[in-house]
Amino acid sequence: MKRGLSTHLTLLLLGYLSFINPAQAVPPIENASMGNGLRILLMEAHAVPMVSMQLVMPAGSRFDPVGKGGTASLLATILTDHTEKHTRETWAMLLDAEAIQLGASASRDGLSLSMTVLKEALPVGINAFSEALLNPGWSRERFALIKENTLSAARKALEEPGIRASEATSRLLFPGHPYGHRPDGNPASLKKILLADLKKLYTNQVRPQGALLAVSGDITMPELLTLLKPLLADWRGAPEQQLFEINRADDVRGITKQIKMQTSQTLSQLARLGPARGDADFFPTFVLNHILGGGGFGSRLMQEVREKRGLVYGIYSYFIPLATSGPFIITLQTRADQAEEAENLVRSVLQELFNGEITRKELADAKANLTGSFAQRMDSNRERVGLMSMIGFYGMPLDYLQVWTQKVEAVTLADIKIAANTYLDPKQWNLLRVGPKVRVKVKGETAP
Amino acid sequence: MHRLIILITGLLLASTLAPTLNAAGLQQAEFKNGVKLIVEEDHSAPVAMVQIWLKVGGRDEVPGKTGLAHVFEHMMFKGSKKLAPGEFSKRISAMGGNDNAFTSTDYTAYFETVPASQVNRVLHMEAERFANLKLRDSDFQKEIKVIMEERRMRTEDDPNSRMFEELSAVSLRLHPYRNPVIGWMQDLKRLTIKDVRTFYKKHYIPGSVTVVVVGDVDFRKVRQTVKRTFGRIKQRPVPERFNPVEPESYGPKRINVTLPAQLPLFALTLTMPVWKPGVNDSACAAIAVATQILAGGRSAELTKTLVDRQRKAFSVGAGYDPFGMGLDLWYVYGVLGPKQTPEAFESALWTLMRKMENSPPAEATLAAAKRQMIAAEVFARDSLYLRAKHIGTLETVGIGAAHQDEWLDAIRRVAAADIQHVFKKWIRAERATTGLLLPEQAPEKAPEKKS
Repeated sequence: MKRGLSTHLTLLLLGYLSFINPAQAVPPIENASMGNGLRILLMEAHAVPMVSMQLVMPAGSRFDPVGKGGTASLLATILTDHTEKHTRETWAMLLDAEAIQLGASASRDGLSLSMTVLKEALPVGINAFSEALLNPGWSRERFALIKENTLSAARKALEEPGIRASEATSRLLFPGHPYGHRPDGNPASLKKILLADLKKLYTNQVRPQGALLAVSGDITMPELLTLLKPLLADWRGAPEQQLFEINRADDVRGITKQIKMQTSQTLSQLARLGPARGDADFFPTFVLNHILGGGGFGSRLMQEVREKRGLVYGIYSYFIPLATSGPFIITLQTRADQAEEAENLVRSVLQELFNGEITRKELADAKANLTGSFAQRMDSNRERVGLMSMIGFYGMPLDYLQVWTQKVEAVTLADIKIAANTYLDPKQWNLLRVGPKVRVKVKGETAP
Repeated sequence: MHRLIILITGLLLASTLAPTLNAAGLQQAEFKNGVKLIVEEDHSAPVAMVQIWLKVGGRDEVPGKTGLAHVFEHMMFKGSKKLAPGEFSKRISAMGGNDNAFTSTDYTAYFETVPASQVNRVLHMEAERFANLKLRDSDFQKEIKVIMEERRMRTEDDPNSRMFEELSAVSLRLHPYRNPVIGWMQDLKRLTIKDVRTFYKKHYIPGSVTVVVVGDVDFRKVRQTVKRTFGRIKQRPVPERFNPVEPESYGPKRINVTLPAQLPLFALTLTMPVWKPGVNDSACAAIAVATQILAGGRSAELTKTLVDRQRKAFSVGAGYDPFGMGLDLWYVYGVLGPKQTPEAFESALWTLMRKMENSPPAEATLAAAKRQMIAAEVFARDSLYLRAKHIGTLETVGIGAAHQDEWLDAIRRVAAADIQHVFKKWIRAERATTGLLLPEQAPEKAPEKKS
C-alpha cells in the first residue's frame, strides 16, 4: 500500500540508473586483481557482521542461442541448484545449515552469482560460492525438472500485463538483436532449450577475464584474498565474446501495437532506444529523465497524469544503460477508456521538453535531489555491491562515485536541451498497449 | 504492509515471513499528550530514517467505509496550513531525501529517508501536517480516482491477488483482516470528503503517535525536537481499537474463484495466535519455526516434498506473521502447472502435514531453521528502513518494542516436539479455509510472434 513507486520499479531504478553523489564522504573502493584476470572491488563496512558479494560475467541473456531466450537464466538457476559434489538435497541443507543466501540471475549483459552470509560463516560461504561457480553438477534429472517448473512459471507470468509489455517491447525495439527478448524467456523459447545449451554458454562465457567480483561488508581485502585465492586460482580463461562486442540496434520509430488481455486497465508503454552506459550524454540524459518521469512525485509525468488529473496510480520513465543502447521506457496503467487521454498527455509532456521548455529552477531542483540523496543509495551492503558491480563490469573509473556529484552538477540547461532533442521527440517513440480492446484506434498487429 | 501484499509478494518465491528483529539499544521517551518517541542511534553513515507511526489502520474503519485509512494516508500529502499540496514531498526531495507512507489493517506510517542533518526540519514538517491538514474536496476527488487505479492495478487485474482477497474475506467472520486495506471498490466509490474529515478528527490524535528515528542522530536532540513539535499538539481522548475475538471454525470452508488466468492457484488459510510477550512466547515461536521448516530456505519441506519429489506444484510457500493484532491469518499455497491438479496437490499437502505431526524434524533441519531466522535478524540490521519498521510495528500492534529481543530467545528454545505440536494443534484440515483460483476459460496461447 505504498503511495509511491511500486517496488518493482524502485528496484529497477536503483539497479540501473542511479547513484548519486554527495558531498558526504563516499567509502573508498579497494581494487585487486587475481592472477587469472578476475577483478575484485571491495567496500569495507564493519557495522553489521555480514558480507555480501556478487560476481558478474558477460553471460547474460544476449548470449542466449537464437530462439532460445531464457538459456542464461536457466544456467543461473542450475548453477545454484546442485553441484558436481552435492545433490540438490544435500546442497540445500549445506547452505541452510549456515544460513548462506546464494542466488544467481541473468540480465541482458550479465550473469550474476551472489551471496549474503554471516561473517562467522564466511569461509563456508566462499567455499560454497566457488563450488557453485566451478563445479556445476549438470544433472539431467534436475535440468528436466527445473525446465518444466520454469515453463509453468513463464506461462503463469503471462497473467501479468507488465511481463507481456516487457517481452513485446524487447521484440519491438530490438528485432533480430541479442537484446530482443526478456532475460527470463517465454514459453516457446524455453521449450527449445537443452542442457547442452547451458553447458555451451557456461564454457564460452563463464570465465575470470572480464568478470568482476564486488564485495561489501565486514571484511578486509587481505582476508578476502586469502579465502578466494586457493579456491579460484584454477579458474582460467577469457570469454569467447567480450562485453562490448555488440552493435547498437537500429532505431525503430513510431510503431503502435496492442496485446489483448481481459483486464480493466490498459498498460501503455512508450519505448525507444536510450543511451549506452558509457555514452557522453549519459549524465544530461540521466538528469533529464529525472525531470521527465524518474524523479517520483516531482516529475513532469507524475504531475500531469497523476497529481493534476488522477488518471494513474503511478507513471514512470527510465532507461537501461547497457553495453550499447538499451531501452528507454515510459510506463503507465489506467482504466482502459482513459488510456488514450493519458497517452496524449505523455506525448504533450515529451513535446514540451523536446521544444526545450525546461526552466533553470527545474534543473536546479533535479540536481539538488539527485546529489542530496546519494548517501542513502549506498547505505546497505547489497546496494553497495550493486553499484560496484556496475562500475567494475562496465569499466567505469574507480572514482566514479566520488565524481558523481560533480558530473551531475556540471550538467547545464543547454546540455539537457540537447539530450531532450536527441531522445524526446514524441514522433520517435513507439507505443505498446496491453489490455482490452476499447474504442481506440490501433495500428499494427494484434496478438491472439 | 497489509498481509495481502505480503502474500502476493511471496507468491512465487517459496519463502516464509522471516522475522526481523533488532538488538537492544533503543532509547525511549513519552510526552504528556501521549506521543511516544523511540530512537536507535547508528552512526555508521550520515543518514537517518524518520517514521511517524499511528495506531490507526483498516481495522478502525466503520462498515461500508473500507479503504478510508488508506485514502487518508494519501490525503496527508495534499497540503496543510503551511504547505501547499505536494509541497511536503518537494521539500523532502530538495533536501536530498525520499518520502512515502504505508497503511495496513493495524497501522499507518509516514516515513522519510534524509541526510541526518535534516531530521529536525522533517519532524517540524511532519508535526505541522499532522495538526493542520487542509482536506479540500477538490484534492479528494482526484485522489480517490488515483486510489481506484491503484486497486485496479494491484487487485482487480491480478487474479492471484483477487483470489487471496476473496480467501481472506471468507476465512474470517469478525476479525478486520477480512477486509482489504485498499478497500472494496463499492466502498471507494461512495466515500466522501466528509468521511475523511471525520476520520481525521477521530484518529489523528497525539495519543496514537509513535515517532521512530533510526540513524545518525543524537537521542537528546531528537527528544527536544519532538517535545517542541508533536509534544505540543493538544491532548485528546484515544478511541478504543476494534479487535474482536474471532469465533473458532466448526468445520472446513472452501471457495472457488473463477477469473481470466493462465494456471490455477491453490491456497489455504488457518487462524493462528499472535505473539504476546510473557503469555504465549513458546507457542508462537514454535509456529514461526514450523513455518520456516515448511517454507524457508532452499531445503524447505514443502518444496522438497511437493515440488521436487512428488511434482504436485511448481512453486509453493507458506507464511506466518506473529506481529499482528488479535490473530494471524497463516497461509500456504501451491501454484499449479498445466498437468498438476488441485485435488492431487491438496491431498499430498495434508499427507505431508500429518507426517510433520507424527515424526519430529531432524535435528539438523531444526537447527538450520533457527540459524536462518537468527541470520535474517542480522541481515535486516543492514537496512534502516526495516529496523525502524520493526520497532514501529511492535509498538503499534501492542507488543512493545522493548520486548524485541525476547522473540529470538523464544525461537532458540523451540524443541522438535514443539514443532510436532504445531501440526497437531493448529494445522488441521477442519480449521482451514481453502481457496482455488480457476482459469475462466481455456488459457490463451502464449502470445508468440515471429520477430
